[in-house]
Amino acid sequence: MQNRIKIERAILNITQDELAKRIGVSRQTINSIEANRYVPSTVLALKLSEVFGKPVNEFFSLSEDD
Amino acid sequence: MNKESYMQREQRALQKLINFRLPRTFMTIGLLLAVVAVVFMFFRTTLFGEDSEIIKSSLQKVLLVGMLLMSISRDREEDEMTIQLRMQSYAWAFITGVIYALVMPYVEFGVSSVLNADNETFTNLGDFQVLVFMLLVQLMCYHTLKRYR
Repeated sequence: MQNRIKIERAILNITQDELAKRIGVSRQTINSIEANRYVPSTVLALKLSEVFGKPVNEFFSLSEDD
Repeated sequence: MNKESYMQREQRALQKLINFRLPRTFMTIGLLLAVVAVVFMFFRTTLFGEDSEIIKSSLQKVLLVGMLLMSISRDREEDEMTIQLRMQSYAWAFITGVIYALVMPYVEFGVSSVLNADNETFTNLGDFQVLVFMLLVQLMCYHTLKRYR
């Protein structure tokens, strides 16, 4: 799975730590999601969608090996 | 009560049990208990003499309780990723524990028959040895996975 979390975060001009606090996870979790080391749950994806004000499939997309 | 609500209630109770964690302070308490137990194990014969089997087994239990408290205490930052890492570490601990219990008696037998070839008998591992190994693997695995997340 690919994601555009880093870009969306840059658009909002917020740090990993700020985003983490807004959705109630640790900064390391945001870092792992951005680096594609961790695929978040639907709940977390929807929380991100709420923060970015966009539907989930605009910042998460399936890669070829999915 | 209909079937669905019974199942939902059961599922909720099970989820509550799975998500159960002790408060963060239990990590310190567990660590303290484990350290005290290990220190006393080293100086057991000096402090209590040769005939102290009851103290030995008590210290083993204190060590197990300490490590268990460390294992089930809440993290400073507990989120869905740490929960997943914790589950992975329990899976690894279980798998390596079974392999350890199967393989280690043969390793011990092999090593001791080389060192003491006269009267070596095959013995199985004790529960303490296996449980300590599993808890050790779980704690190490969890904290390593957390560090590299």
